[in-house]
Amino acid sequence: MTQDIEMKDNQTPTQSIIVSATTSTLQHLKEIAALIDSGSYTKEVRRIARAVRLTVGLRKKLTGSVISSFLDFALVPGSDAHTRLSSFVPKSNEHDMEVDTASSNSQATTKHLPAELEIYCYFLVLLFLIDQKKYNEAKVCSSASIARLKSVNRRTIDVIASRLYFYYSLSYEVTGNLAEIRGNLLALHHSATLRHDELGQETLLNLLLRNYLHYNLYDQAEKLRSKAPRFEAHSNQQFCRYLFYLGKIRTIQLEYTDAKESLLQAARKAPIAALGFRIQCNKWAIIVRLLLGEIPERSIFTQKGMEKALKPYFDLTNAVRIGDLELFRNVQERFAKTFSEDRTHNLIVRLRHNVIRTGLRNISISYSRISLTDVAQKLRLNSANPVADAESIVAKAIRDGAIDATIDHKNGCMVSKETGDIYSTNEPQTAFNSRIAFCLNMHNEAVRALRFPPNTHKEKESDEKRREKKQQEEELAKYMAEEDDDDF
Amino acid sequence: MDPQLTEVSQQFERFKAAFVRKDFNSCGDLLSQLKVLLTKFTSLPPLFENTPNAAQELTIARDIYEHAVVLSVKTEDQDAFERDFFQLKPYYVDARNRIPPSQQENLILGLNLLRLLVQNRIAEFHTELELLSSATLENPCIKHAVELEQSFMEGAYNRVLSARQTAPDETYVYFMDLLAKTIRDEIAGCSEKAYDYVSITDARLMLLFSSDQELLAYVQEEHPEWEVKDGLVVFQKAKETAPCKEIPSLQLINQTLSYARELERIV
Repeated sequence: MTQDIEMKDNQTPTQSIIVSATTSTLQHLKEIAALIDSGSYTKEVRRIARAVRLTVGLRKKLTGSVISSFLDFALVPGSDAHTRLSSFVPKSNEHDMEVDTASSNSQATTKHLPAELEIYCYFLVLLFLIDQKKYNEAKVCSSASIARLKSVNRRTIDVIASRLYFYYSLSYEVTGNLAEIRGNLLALHHSATLRHDELGQETLLNLLLRNYLHYNLYDQAEKLRSKAPRFEAHSNQQFCRYLFYLGKIRTIQLEYTDAKESLLQAARKAPIAALGFRIQCNKWAIIVRLLLGEIPERSIFTQKGMEKALKPYFDLTNAVRIGDLELFRNVQERFAKTFSEDRTHNLIVRLRHNVIRTGLRNISISYSRISLTDVAQKLRLNSANPVADAESIVAKAIRDGAIDATIDHKNGCMVSKETGDIYSTNEPQTAFNSRIAFCLNMHNEAVRALRFPPNTHKEKESDEKRREKKQQEEELAKYMAEEDDDDF
Repeated sequence: MDPQLTEVSQQFERFKAAFVRKDFNSCGDLLSQLKVLLTKFTSLPPLFENTPNAAQELTIARDIYEHAVVLSVKTEDQDAFERDFFQLKPYYVDARNRIPPSQQENLILGLNLLRLLVQNRIAEFHTELELLSSATLENPCIKHAVELEQSFMEGAYNRVLSARQTAPDETYVYFMDLLAKTIRDEIAGCSEKAYDYVSITDARLMLLFSSDQELLAYVQEEHPEWEVKDGLVVFQKAKETAPCKEIPSLQLINQTLSYARELERIV
């Protein structure tokens, strides 16, 4: 690492600023290429993973000329892959050509071309095309890369391949024909499973879930999810996504308790920088908690950078908390556009029932005896026969245990029961037990999640490792943030 | 015209004739023959091959399955309904851009929603609902089912029952009747918790019986624990959660021991 920096420093003063920027990016790319070369030679997946991370760091600096010079450097000019990939990249101008020739003269041409490097070139070009918003070209390029990938079976490629899958799906999503590639993704998942490529399986499973959910095919998504092989997550981002999709599926299928767990976990595990993703998780989590009859704390809505996006949901929560049907309807209409964009509209329709419940609970706490006509009025039930409706609604609430009361049918009123002394029952004991169990479980999970790097005893490397790890974390966060910008 | 297609359409005409005559037995026979014939078309799901007659074949196949679904409602066979509906579904979803939409589509989708509601498969109900566009949700057939579900969840049973009159199609009545029975059980369950007692007349009205005899028979059969005396129906209240007199010692010991074990591991 230190050597690399020195090399760069030596070069910069000799050339003009613009050229030096280009060359240094090119230089970086060449270093990455060397890394991939050695990774492919020694069969070390770690090196390839690092190469990919470094590339993401360079993403902002990539220009057409840098990439075309790099392609000239990495691939054999005139070869199949070279011509295909160069066609995606705009021709560089004369000035850059000079630099290009100068640098390619200095480097000895690589005779032996590892498959990793070729795939990496695809990745680089794809990244460039997507950043330039040339989605149709990106579609063609990614399809070509996927076709090429099928003929390669090396574990060292998996890391790059999983990224390629992601951009493959992204480019189709942006152009609006996600359904086309579903069959392809399934085939890829199939072969990833056969090749024990767990990272690939993980990525592809998420892409498939995303693909299904894009078209609201919850049934198919759940069938695939429950049958696909599961293993310990390799990548945190993919795991977060998986949890999010899982939460969505479970919400639709009315398994609110499980859904809440997955959604909250997804929101917690996501890196701080991935704001878009976290907002989305929070939106769903808020609805699920409301459906469960919980009222989310105010602090959830005031998280940094989320206030504006969560405002409709804040108003919604407020309406549910007060139990005012009129207000609820109002919020529903006012933010109808937001809710249908978030595709939460149907869930919010389900909430009506909870609003009535809360309203009823408030009434039952405030009055020891109230006529059903007044109940209907307070709940603002707009129906043909409000009293009869109120009576059956109250009856159901009593049966479901939402309120503790009886109905006096003859006089048409609801009589609330005295609240009993809860401490004379076993309730507090069970509540205590469940909380303790939760804490102990949390501790055990945390201990189990502790990871120790395999080579800690090697003192010499530890310094570099630490720095690398830190850098890696930063890149990850940044990467996730960028991806989520694309997503939402 | 393709001879196979001619054969199918002739057979289908015979089926429709029997259908109008309400001769459901021969309908069933003809339908199974038709289904066998349909397997010879490669343009149908899941293959979707682009044969020259693809559009015609898809349309006629969809028409056949739509009739099959309606037939299953008439013969009151819910399993057949489910089977036929799943065979029909790809025509609505995957073949959407191959053939023009069917007039019957919303009617059938609404029927299916209603079926799921009657069978109390609420999760599937909502999964199906997610597939519908907001325009479809406004369709009277679909809206009917959606509103039913809401009223059902809220407990506004009157609204569910009065919805029978507003059913958008005669085929809906079969499921609405089934739903009425489910609702009677629901009301009975709620009443027993919510009231101490009600008069027989009120109970009869609430449970939608036309005579006291029917009510008494129902009480005897479904809820023998209810008491009928002095013109009142007295519900036996389920035993209230009595304040605990005994300490569940064994359970407590177990819990405490497990805390101790866990804590030891931490320290």
